[in-house]
Amino acid sequence: MHSVRIASGSAFWGDMLEPAVELIEKGDVQYVGFDHLAELTMAILNRTKAKDPKAGYIPDIVPWMQRLLPLARARGVRLVTNAGGANPRQAALEVGRVASSLDIGTLKIGVVEGDDILGKVDALRAQGWKFQNLDTGEDDLGAIRDRLVAANAYIGADVIREHLAGGADVVITGRASDNALYVGPVMHELGWDYGDVDRVGAAITVGHIIECAGCVTGGMSNLWKISERPWAMGFPIAEVWQNGDAVIEKPPGSGGVLDEWTVKEHLIYEVHDPASYLMPDGVADFTALRLAADGPGRVRVTGMKGKPRPSTLKVCFGYRDGFIGEGLAFFPWPDALAKAEWAARWVKERLAICGVQCRELRVDLVGVDMLHGELAPRVDRDFNEVGIRVAGRTRTADEADAIRREVTHLWNSGPLGSCFGVPLKVRPVVALWPSLVPREAVPVTGEILEVG
Amino acid sequence: MKVTLHELAFARSGDKGDVCNVGVMAKSRRIHEHLVRALTIERVRAHFGAMVQGAIEAYPLDNLDSINFVLRGALGGGATKTLRFDQTGKAMATAMLRLELDVPAELVEEARRVTSALGLR
Repeated sequence: MHSVRIASGSAFWGDMLEPAVELIEKGDVQYVGFDHLAELTMAILNRTKAKDPKAGYIPDIVPWMQRLLPLARARGVRLVTNAGGANPRQAALEVGRVASSLDIGTLKIGVVEGDDILGKVDALRAQGWKFQNLDTGEDDLGAIRDRLVAANAYIGADVIREHLAGGADVVITGRASDNALYVGPVMHELGWDYGDVDRVGAAITVGHIIECAGCVTGGMSNLWKISERPWAMGFPIAEVWQNGDAVIEKPPGSGGVLDEWTVKEHLIYEVHDPASYLMPDGVADFTALRLAADGPGRVRVTGMKGKPRPSTLKVCFGYRDGFIGEGLAFFPWPDALAKAEWAARWVKERLAICGVQCRELRVDLVGVDMLHGELAPRVDRDFNEVGIRVAGRTRTADEADAIRREVTHLWNSGPLGSCFGVPLKVRPVVALWPSLVPREAVPVTGEILEVG
Repeated sequence: MKVTLHELAFARSGDKGDVCNVGVMAKSRRIHEHLVRALTIERVRAHFGAMVQGAIEAYPLDNLDSINFVLRGALGGGATKTLRFDQTGKAMATAMLRLELDVPAELVEEARRVTSALGLR
């Protein structure tokens, strides 16, 4: 039976490069997908592009393609990435430059554009589209209209498939959903179309299982203790058959751990209703499928189901919403906990004296309750060291900086042994407004550039 | 006998905006069947207290012996805005595993056998 082998080479901007090299060299794969985007990443890239029209893509794509293109070309492996971010065309031009500098012959680069709808928001609102906030129910986008910095729709695999059919060696998209980077090649290679809802559901499910790369091969895992050579973890490969069944595995000899538990861990990761996992290419139902071990490091997935693709796409608006100032300081034995509590109060009193207005202020005790908050049981012991983390949200950058500065004052004014490392930078807050947009309002376009 | 959920299940959490989901994967079918009855939305709400401000939903996945809990208003405003150090709710799964349940001793034994067989002790 005809099948396709597809792998995941990146889960976020800043992921490791070596596992992607290993996938191409030893994974016997036809496609590698690379996700580099997150909600915050899109906001950062949009800001970067506003300052420089030639920026706004993931800059890592240049060194990554330098390393991966010769390996991929030698083996006929095709690469699909959303590293285009807020500027897929510029990213494609940069990759073209890299390709020209390498001795790899002609390269076809498919660009996918159209996810950026910031320029259409006013027209759509005038037509009566409300853009209700899916999280809060608010429906007055007007209240944040002049603070909008990004509006990107999560687009599907349509044009990725067209580019692959057109012979693209590399496909570069903007805010395509992470999932579409995998659904596109699977649908293209196996000749599936959108009417085939269970098979598309299978492609979406498989994409979901592998799209966060190392998160299904031992990363973030309950099984971290038994992950083999976790520093050399392999990234996941899916083989998908014509009948809609799949096997998840990783390159031979790679580290990490992949079994029914890690696949399960990832199936429920960042999911709401598991019977309706909404993606631009369809809706997957995770409640019918079966997992079975298929030899060491291999898991078979069968019985995957789907429903037709929705008439709307998710759109994520980002808008400016003040600043965050933060600081860290640490206190040694003796009396480490008492010193930290003393310092927490000290910073709050200082902020009051300086008249700093915070919209919200938070002080955590590092090593005591920073991660579990009030769920962390109070422990009374002779700590070797305890830290404080102070963070505050403010209207202005100056107020945020004052928070950072007051924490640094503990250096000279805190209890015996007070330490801190390098002060943290004030960061602007881009708040998010998730909503829906009609599919037909987001025409996705593409072009294949040929270089070399 | 009284044990933490950590004895009985694995868990993983993640974020979408200010919504955190915690998947609870029981260490056996019988434990899952018990958790579907015992690990109610009310228990989870009481456990998280003020850490979760909005609604809580529970979605059982009987095919995976798992329950997916969706916690709304759970991340202090969402990754880009929250003052929590755990911006994306990765540690929420471990916070869930602190929850204490009263379960038959044989289920605890069964969970311990699974944990040991995996080499996690």
